[in-house]
Amino acid sequence: MKTAVVVLLGMSASRLPPAALSLKQFLQRQKVLQIYRTLLRTIRQVPDEADRRYLRDWARGEFRRNKEATNQDAIRMMVTQARNHLEELQKSLALARS
Amino acid sequence: MAARVLQQCVRSFARPSLRLCTRNVAVRATATPAVFIHRPLSFAAESPRTRLFGQSRISVGVFCRQYGDLPPLTLETIKERVMYVLKLYDKINPEKLQTSSHFMKDLGLDSLDQVEIIMAMEDEFGFEIPDAEAEKLMTPEEIVQYIADKKDVYE
Repeated sequence: MKTAVVVLLGMSASRLPPAALSLKQFLQRQKVLQIYRTLLRTIRQVPDEADRRYLRDWARGEFRRNKEATNQDAIRMMVTQARNHLEELQKSLALARS
Repeated sequence: MAARVLQQCVRSFARPSLRLCTRNVAVRATATPAVFIHRPLSFAAESPRTRLFGQSRISVGVFCRQYGDLPPLTLETIKERVMYVLKLYDKINPEKLQTSSHFMKDLGLDSLDQVEIIMAMEDEFGFEIPDAEAEKLMTPEEIVQYIADKKDVYE
Protein backbone atom coordinates (compact mmCIF):
# COMPACT_ATOMS: atom_id res chain seq x y z
CA MET A 1 0.00 0.00 0.00
CA LYS A 2 1.42 3.28 -1.00
CA THR A 3 1.66 5.50 2.01
CA ALA A 4 1.72 9.15 1.12
CA VAL A 5 4.63 11.11 2.42
CA VAL A 6 2.02 13.45 3.79
CA VAL A 7 1.77 10.81 6.46
CA LEU A 8 5.46 10.12 6.39
CA LEU A 9 6.28 13.60 7.60
CA GLY A 10 3.31 13.86 9.91
CA MET A 11 1.70 16.76 8.09
CA SER A 12 -2.02 17.52 7.82
CA ALA A 13 -3.00 15.09 10.48
CA SER A 14 -6.22 17.04 10.69
CA ARG A 15 -7.37 15.87 7.26
CA LEU A 16 -6.17 12.26 7.11
CA PRO A 17 -6.14 9.74 9.87
CA PRO A 18 -2.48 8.94 10.44
CA ALA A 19 -1.90 5.55 8.89
CA ALA A 20 0.53 3.39 10.73
CA LEU A 21 4.04 3.58 9.36
CA SER A 22 5.95 0.38 9.01
CA LEU A 23 9.02 0.10 11.17
CA LYS A 24 11.34 0.77 8.24
CA GLN A 25 9.45 3.88 7.24
CA PHE A 26 9.40 5.10 10.78
CA LEU A 27 13.15 4.64 11.11
CA GLN A 28 13.71 6.32 7.78
CA ARG A 29 11.65 9.28 8.87
CA GLN A 30 13.75 9.53 12.00
CA LYS A 31 16.92 9.41 9.95
CA VAL A 32 15.72 12.17 7.67
CA LEU A 33 14.87 14.40 10.60
CA GLN A 34 18.14 13.58 12.29
CA ILE A 35 20.20 14.52 9.28
CA TYR A 36 18.18 17.69 8.83
CA ARG A 37 18.95 18.65 12.39
CA THR A 38 22.65 17.82 12.08
CA LEU A 39 22.82 19.83 8.88
CA LEU A 40 21.25 22.86 10.52
CA ARG A 41 23.60 22.57 13.46
CA THR A 42 26.62 22.40 11.18
CA ILE A 43 25.40 25.38 9.20
CA ARG A 44 25.28 27.32 12.45
CA GLN A 45 29.05 27.07 12.67
CA VAL A 46 29.69 28.81 9.38
CA PRO A 47 31.48 32.08 10.16
CA ASP A 48 29.84 34.39 7.64
CA GLU A 49 26.22 35.46 8.21
CA ALA A 50 25.30 35.73 4.51
CA ASP A 51 26.74 32.28 3.82
CA ARG A 52 24.82 30.89 6.73
CA ARG A 53 21.56 32.30 5.46
CA TYR A 54 22.20 31.00 1.95
CA LEU A 55 23.06 27.51 3.17
CA ARG A 56 20.05 27.41 5.45
CA ASP A 57 17.72 28.40 2.63
CA TRP A 58 19.37 25.85 0.36
CA ALA A 59 18.98 23.05 2.92
CA ARG A 60 15.40 24.02 3.63
CA GLY A 61 14.55 24.13 -0.06
CA GLU A 62 16.15 20.75 -0.75
CA PHE A 63 14.38 18.97 2.06
CA ARG A 64 11.02 20.49 1.31
CA ARG A 65 11.24 19.87 -2.39
CA ASN A 66 11.71 16.15 -1.84
CA LYS A 67 9.24 15.93 0.97
CA GLU A 68 6.68 14.15 -1.19
CA ALA A 69 8.89 11.23 -2.15
CA THR A 70 7.44 7.82 -1.43
CA ASN A 71 9.89 5.37 -2.91
CA GLN A 72 12.01 3.97 -0.14
CA ASP A 73 15.08 3.57 -2.31
CA ALA A 74 14.81 7.12 -3.60
CA ILE A 75 14.54 8.35 -0.05
CA ARG A 76 17.58 6.33 0.92
CA MET A 77 19.54 7.82 -1.97
CA MET A 78 18.56 11.31 -0.96
CA VAL A 79 19.57 10.69 2.63
CA THR A 80 22.98 9.49 1.42
CA GLN A 81 23.31 12.58 -0.73
CA ALA A 82 22.45 14.77 2.22
CA ARG A 83 25.02 12.97 4.32
CA ASN A 84 27.67 13.59 1.65
CA HIS A 85 26.79 17.27 1.57
CA LEU A 86 27.02 17.35 5.34
CA GLU A 87 30.46 15.74 5.35
CA GLU A 88 31.69 18.15 2.72
CA LEU A 89 30.46 21.06 4.76
CA GLN A 90 32.09 19.72 7.89
CA LYS A 91 35.39 19.21 6.10
CA SER A 92 35.34 22.74 4.68
CA LEU A 93 34.58 24.14 8.12
CA ALA A 94 37.45 22.17 9.65
CA LEU A 95 39.78 23.48 6.96
CA ALA A 96 38.58 27.02 7.42
CA ARG A 97 39.16 26.79 11.13
CA SER A 98 42.72 25.48 10.90
CA MET B 1 45.88 68.00 38.08
CA ALA B 2 42.71 66.91 36.42
CA ALA B 3 44.66 64.35 34.44
CA ARG B 4 46.12 62.92 37.61
CA VAL B 5 42.67 62.58 39.11
CA LEU B 6 41.40 60.81 36.01
CA GLN B 7 44.38 58.51 36.05
CA GLN B 8 43.72 57.43 39.61
CA CYS B 9 40.07 56.90 38.92
CA VAL B 10 40.87 54.74 35.93
CA ARG B 11 43.46 52.74 37.85
CA SER B 12 41.05 52.13 40.67
CA PHE B 13 38.21 51.24 38.33
CA ALA B 14 38.10 47.67 39.54
CA ARG B 15 38.09 48.77 43.14
CA PRO B 16 35.19 50.08 45.14
CA SER B 17 33.48 53.40 44.69
CA LEU B 18 34.52 56.80 43.49
CA ARG B 19 34.34 58.00 47.06
CA LEU B 20 37.79 56.52 47.62
CA CYS B 21 39.07 58.32 44.54
CA THR B 22 38.02 61.65 45.86
CA ARG B 23 39.48 60.84 49.26
CA ASN B 24 42.79 59.96 47.62
CA VAL B 25 42.75 63.17 45.65
CA ALA B 26 42.33 65.18 48.79
CA VAL B 27 45.29 63.37 50.38
CA ARG B 28 47.44 63.88 47.32
CA ALA B 29 46.53 67.51 46.90
CA THR B 30 47.85 68.31 50.35
CA ALA B 31 50.89 66.02 50.17
CA THR B 32 52.45 66.65 46.77
CA PRO B 33 53.21 69.73 44.70
CA ALA B 34 51.02 70.40 41.70
CA VAL B 35 53.53 69.12 39.12
CA PHE B 36 52.42 67.17 36.11
CA ILE B 37 54.71 64.12 36.41
CA HIS B 38 53.26 60.63 36.02
CA ARG B 39 55.87 58.19 37.20
CA PRO B 40 57.15 59.53 40.54
CA LEU B 41 53.57 60.26 41.43
CA SER B 42 52.59 56.62 41.10
CA PHE B 43 55.32 55.54 43.52
CA ALA B 44 54.43 58.25 45.97
CA ALA B 45 50.80 57.31 45.65
CA GLU B 46 51.33 53.64 46.43
CA SER B 47 51.58 53.72 50.19
CA PRO B 48 48.73 56.08 51.10
CA ARG B 49 46.50 54.44 48.53
CA THR B 50 47.10 50.87 49.61
CA ARG B 51 46.72 51.86 53.19
CA LEU B 52 43.48 53.58 52.41
CA PHE B 53 42.17 50.72 50.30
CA GLY B 54 43.41 48.13 52.73
CA GLN B 55 41.33 49.64 55.49
CA SER B 56 38.19 50.19 53.54
CA ARG B 57 38.28 47.18 51.25
CA ILE B 58 36.61 45.02 53.85
CA SER B 59 33.69 47.33 54.34
CA VAL B 60 33.04 48.54 50.82
CA GLY B 61 34.33 45.57 48.81
CA VAL B 62 31.30 43.44 49.61
CA PHE B 63 28.92 45.81 47.87
CA CYS B 64 30.92 46.39 44.74
CA ARG B 65 31.94 42.96 43.54
CA GLN B 66 31.09 42.71 39.91
CA TYR B 67 30.28 39.49 38.11
CA GLY B 68 28.95 39.08 34.65
CA ASP B 69 25.89 36.89 34.26
CA LEU B 70 22.56 36.74 32.51
CA PRO B 71 19.41 37.89 34.32
CA PRO B 72 17.72 35.03 36.17
CA LEU B 73 15.10 33.07 34.25
CA THR B 74 11.51 32.89 35.43
CA LEU B 75 8.62 30.96 33.92
CA GLU B 76 7.16 34.23 32.69
CA THR B 77 10.30 35.35 30.89
CA ILE B 78 10.79 31.92 29.37
CA LYS B 79 7.23 31.95 28.07
CA GLU B 80 7.62 35.46 26.64
CA ARG B 81 10.81 34.57 24.85
CA VAL B 82 9.37 31.34 23.46
CA MET B 83 6.28 33.13 22.16
CA TYR B 84 8.40 35.91 20.72
CA VAL B 85 10.59 33.48 18.80
CA LEU B 86 7.52 31.64 17.55
CA LYS B 87 5.89 34.84 16.38
CA LEU B 88 9.00 35.66 14.38
CA TYR B 89 8.79 32.34 12.55
CA ASP B 90 7.31 33.04 9.17
CA LYS B 91 5.12 29.99 8.89
CA ILE B 92 3.20 30.70 12.05
CA ASN B 93 0.23 33.02 12.08
CA PRO B 94 0.76 35.17 15.18
CA GLU B 95 -2.95 35.63 15.81
CA LYS B 96 -3.62 31.92 16.03
CA LEU B 97 -0.69 31.28 18.29
CA GLN B 98 -1.35 30.34 21.89
CA THR B 99 0.64 28.46 24.46
CA SER B 100 -1.45 25.36 23.99
CA SER B 101 -1.53 25.34 20.20
CA HIS B 102 -0.15 22.11 18.82
CA PHE B 103 2.36 22.67 16.02
CA MET B 104 1.07 19.93 13.80
CA LYS B 105 -2.60 19.75 14.67
CA ASP B 106 -3.47 23.41 15.23
CA LEU B 107 -0.85 25.36 13.33
CA GLY B 108 -0.47 23.00 10.38
CA LEU B 109 3.29 22.69 10.54
CA ASP B 110 5.22 19.57 9.67
CA SER B 111 8.10 17.85 11.35
CA LEU B 112 10.74 19.75 9.38
CA ASP B 113 9.23 22.96 10.71
CA GLN B 114 9.22 21.53 14.17
CA VAL B 115 12.94 20.78 13.88
CA GLU B 116 13.55 24.36 12.80
CA ILE B 117 11.50 25.73 15.67
CA ILE B 118 13.45 23.70 18.22
CA MET B 119 16.73 24.88 16.65
CA ALA B 120 15.51 28.45 17.01
CA MET B 121 14.79 27.77 20.68
CA GLU B 122 18.29 26.38 21.10
CA ASP B 123 19.70 29.57 19.61
CA GLU B 124 17.55 31.73 21.83
CA PHE B 125 18.34 30.03 25.12
CA GLY B 126 21.88 29.03 24.31
CA PHE B 127 21.88 25.32 25.12
CA GLU B 128 21.49 22.20 23.03
CA ILE B 129 18.37 20.08 23.08
CA PRO B 130 19.06 16.41 22.21
CA ASP B 131 17.15 14.78 19.35
CA ALA B 132 15.15 12.32 21.39
CA GLU B 133 13.65 15.02 23.57
CA ALA B 134 13.36 17.59 20.82
CA GLU B 135 10.93 15.60 18.72
CA LYS B 136 8.49 15.27 21.60
CA LEU B 137 8.03 19.01 22.08
CA MET B 138 4.87 19.78 20.19
CA THR B 139 3.35 22.81 21.89
CA PRO B 140 4.83 26.05 23.24
CA GLU B 141 3.71 24.98 26.70
CA GLU B 142 5.80 21.83 26.51
CA ILE B 143 8.80 23.81 25.34
CA VAL B 144 8.48 26.18 28.28
CA GLN B 145 8.19 23.24 30.66
CA TYR B 146 11.22 21.53 29.17
CA ILE B 147 13.40 24.64 29.35
CA ALA B 148 12.27 25.28 32.91
CA ASP B 149 13.23 21.70 33.81
CA LYS B 150 16.61 21.99 32.19
CA LYS B 151 17.40 25.36 33.69
CA ASP B 152 16.08 24.55 37.15
CA VAL B 153 13.46 27.28 37.20
CA TYR B 154 10.89 26.65 39.89
CA GLU B 155 7.90 28.71 40.82
